[in-house]
Amino acid sequence: MRRESWAEPWRVKVVEPLRITTRAERERAIREAGYNTFLLRSEDVYIDLLTDSGTSAMSDRQWAGMMLGDEAYAGSRNFYSLQNAVLRYYGYPHLIPTHQGRGAEHILSRILISPGDHVPGNMYFTTTRVHQELAGGTFHDVIIDEAHDPASEHPFKGNVDLAKLDAVVQRYGAPRVPYVSVAATVNMAGGQPLSLANLREVREYTRAHGIRVILDATRAVENAWFIQQREPGQRGRRIDDILHEMCDLTDGATMSGKKDSLVNIGGWLGLRDERLAERARNLVVVYEGLHTYGGLAGRDMEAMAIGIEESVQEDHIRSRIGQVLYLGEQLIAAGIPIVRPIGGHAVFLDAAAMLPHIPREQFPAQSLAAALYVASGIRAMERGAVSAGRDPASGENRYPPLELVRLTIPRRVYTQAHMDVTAESVSTVYDARHRVRGLRFTYEPAMLRFFQARFEPVDAPVRRDADADPAGRMNDARSVSAA
Amino acid sequence: MRFQTIIEPFRIKTVEPIRQTTVAQRAAALEAAHHNVFLLQAEDVLIDLLTDSGTGAMSVHQWSGMMKGDESYAGARSFAVFERAVRDITGFAHVIPTHQGRAAEHILFSTMVRPGDVVPNNTHFDTTRANVQDRGGLALDLPAAEARDPHVAHPFKGNMDVEALERTLIDNPRRVPLVMITVTNNSEGGQPVSLENVRAVREVCTRHGVPLFIDACRFAENAWFIKTREPGYADCTPHEIARAMFALADGCTMSAKKDGMANIGGFLAMNDPELALRCRTRLVLTEGFPTYGGLAGYDLEAIAVGLHEALDEDYLRYRVRSIAYLGEKLTAGGVPIVTPTGGHALYLDAKRWLPHIPQSQYPAWALSLVLYVEGGIRAAEIGSVMFGLQPDGSERPADLELVRLAFPRRVYTQSHVDYVAEVVLHVGTLADRIRGVRIVQSPPVLRHFTSHFAPVADTLVSR
Repeated sequence: MRRESWAEPWRVKVVEPLRITTRAERERAIREAGYNTFLLRSEDVYIDLLTDSGTSAMSDRQWAGMMLGDEAYAGSRNFYSLQNAVLRYYGYPHLIPTHQGRGAEHILSRILISPGDHVPGNMYFTTTRVHQELAGGTFHDVIIDEAHDPASEHPFKGNVDLAKLDAVVQRYGAPRVPYVSVAATVNMAGGQPLSLANLREVREYTRAHGIRVILDATRAVENAWFIQQREPGQRGRRIDDILHEMCDLTDGATMSGKKDSLVNIGGWLGLRDERLAERARNLVVVYEGLHTYGGLAGRDMEAMAIGIEESVQEDHIRSRIGQVLYLGEQLIAAGIPIVRPIGGHAVFLDAAAMLPHIPREQFPAQSLAAALYVASGIRAMERGAVSAGRDPASGENRYPPLELVRLTIPRRVYTQAHMDVTAESVSTVYDARHRVRGLRFTYEPAMLRFFQARFEPVDAPVRRDADADPAGRMNDARSVSAA
Repeated sequence: MRFQTIIEPFRIKTVEPIRQTTVAQRAAALEAAHHNVFLLQAEDVLIDLLTDSGTGAMSVHQWSGMMKGDESYAGARSFAVFERAVRDITGFAHVIPTHQGRAAEHILFSTMVRPGDVVPNNTHFDTTRANVQDRGGLALDLPAAEARDPHVAHPFKGNMDVEALERTLIDNPRRVPLVMITVTNNSEGGQPVSLENVRAVREVCTRHGVPLFIDACRFAENAWFIKTREPGYADCTPHEIARAMFALADGCTMSAKKDGMANIGGFLAMNDPELALRCRTRLVLTEGFPTYGGLAGYDLEAIAVGLHEALDEDYLRYRVRSIAYLGEKLTAGGVPIVTPTGGHALYLDAKRWLPHIPQSQYPAWALSLVLYVEGGIRAAEIGSVMFGLQPDGSERPADLELVRLAFPRRVYTQSHVDYVAEVVLHVGTLADRIRGVRIVQSPPVLRHFTSHFAPVADTLVSR
């Protein structure tokens, strides 16, 4: 087969220098960070693959839009630009801007979920599930079984299993199911898409039962690209056309503009029902900001409106996902176990398969991410048991089938050479994988623990409580007593 | 010789055109906005004095900071720059960024306030009150007596009633999780709080073992008033005064959209490490990771620069003088305003100006509508629409019926101010013909933002 080379559909306009550190510096840095890559200083990181969220490079057009910010508190023209862009490409008539995606999730959970409700979804996402649980709901995973098998080559591992969905609805009754939460693509499954055919089935099923469908549209453009590439009969369609149809099959969406939409900050909630939108507006003003800015500067709404348009361009999305494929294929060629097929925004290393000598309760993925940083200065993110947290009822650790390390590619930031270095670095760690040791908690926050947790190697001497530093490095300043 | 004219301590680097409209166009726009200026399209506004929040012009130094934004999700160097600036000014050990001020309040209150608690403040601002009530707490206003009369010329009308605070703490043992003091006191006319008053509040708080938090939105303007009005501080820099004020408190909430000179952003800062940890745990739920708190890296940079620019003496002198200049023109024209003029806004006293409109017909709201139709000026009501709705759903008239002309920082010139004075004086000639309004539709909280109104008569101004 002929390999199609691709080149970025842009040239570089502004650069940001990187610092290369020594192994000794990195060993110290990861120890100070409690073996949690979230707690590293970005200055100590060489290639930052922690997340694709808010880390993109904006275009010159977006920066020009930043200069067109209308910072009026109410009725800013940038709000109308954003409203038009969302209406045109996503199709939701009611737009409520929020400072980022979790702001939209917070508002949505508050208006739709009552205590005792049940929310089915195609695999959990960390912040989404916490907001559902805080509103009194219980999340139920209804993704197809293939999603939990990292080796399965199913083209749409993000699909909803209709039988599982039906089981939840039958068990609790449709009135206790306020909506089905559908993510496109599914982050925790490895950036895997769902198919248009599956989404249509979900829509038919929920319509028959009077249940809403809410899309997590964070990476829906990337999902549309996979539909175009993989789904029978979709090959000739435009990305924006597919995206619009996906949204047409839902009642609303939460969006983090920090992913697909190529901005550093911003999100929104899109709804079709006017009465629901009214309730959302009444809440957004309490937590986020007036409904025409939602906690964003005017310029940020303008940058997002332009970013939305750039995100659906075929050249952009081809090179975006092409870069992720480029890295993934190199790793496959080197024999490294990764989640297959390669996802849209990241390559996911299968830590359980790579480090079979580390038991799950010693967090192989957390250990692998720390080891990768020490070896090369590359920062990745754990997406396994640490991210999954504890069951709110039993207090036990949740061990999801997938124990992964995510190499997330920011949009338009790194070059092919950076990907080459990344592939080499992962291979180096893989070759020395038997030397990677497990970790244990020294500090574990109650909610969303992966962000601020601290660890130490399991073979370190056990510390007395008095030595523990729960507040960590961010609290390193000496406390100044109030006069 | 020493020249008397105070000029803007900057020149203009970037401009934003504004659009002229006719009275007929504005009347139609207001109709479409359901007689609520918050619902107007900003394009239809000529001079936007709705708020000084997030509407300022950034400096070249702030914009260059924007280009240096480190957008790393965790541990960004922009956070280190931001943290350093906040610590340098407040002295607080723990700095937690938030997307804006109300989010800092939300985090603080949801961590500290339980249902049935009482939170005293010199005067709560609207979002602060909403956030306390949202937690099932009682937001108790304890302004000093002199604040209640808009026409008394006391230098520190923002002060808190220290005796009333003491009584509150005695009457509600263990029900007061924190005391807040707002500088400057926005709801009472942007009036400053003296350092002496903050010190007295601190003593009461210490005696009762209750932490004191400052709502620091306009800390720099307040520092300027202390420098120019309070004996003993004339030779201190605003930075030194700010440090002295923060040193009396255990923490602060801040909207960087005011004296942070930024278009978005805020923070929460405190000394208690255990409280900081609990706040950060809440932060990741609704705001973002602790080193960005829901802001882009570029915003953190812009705020870090802006916080220091806000303390510049030439800037503060120009800032406060602009408001006083408008106040002098209006007073000379017989318009009743809150005196002395405050730090960020000039407040028209609608209760005195429009005595024929009962408070149940929202005289200040009606006045704000007429200002828009006649001159294209957008101003905010601070009266019974904003404060009249009680948590139990009943209606109680506010103490004051004010229209706030809030000045965005570094945005409008003296010519704009002259135009505003001319419009207000013109509206004065219509005063006895202005009619009240009624609420047609309103949400359960923060109703001023989204309610729909209608004039009680056929027109706002009778013919």
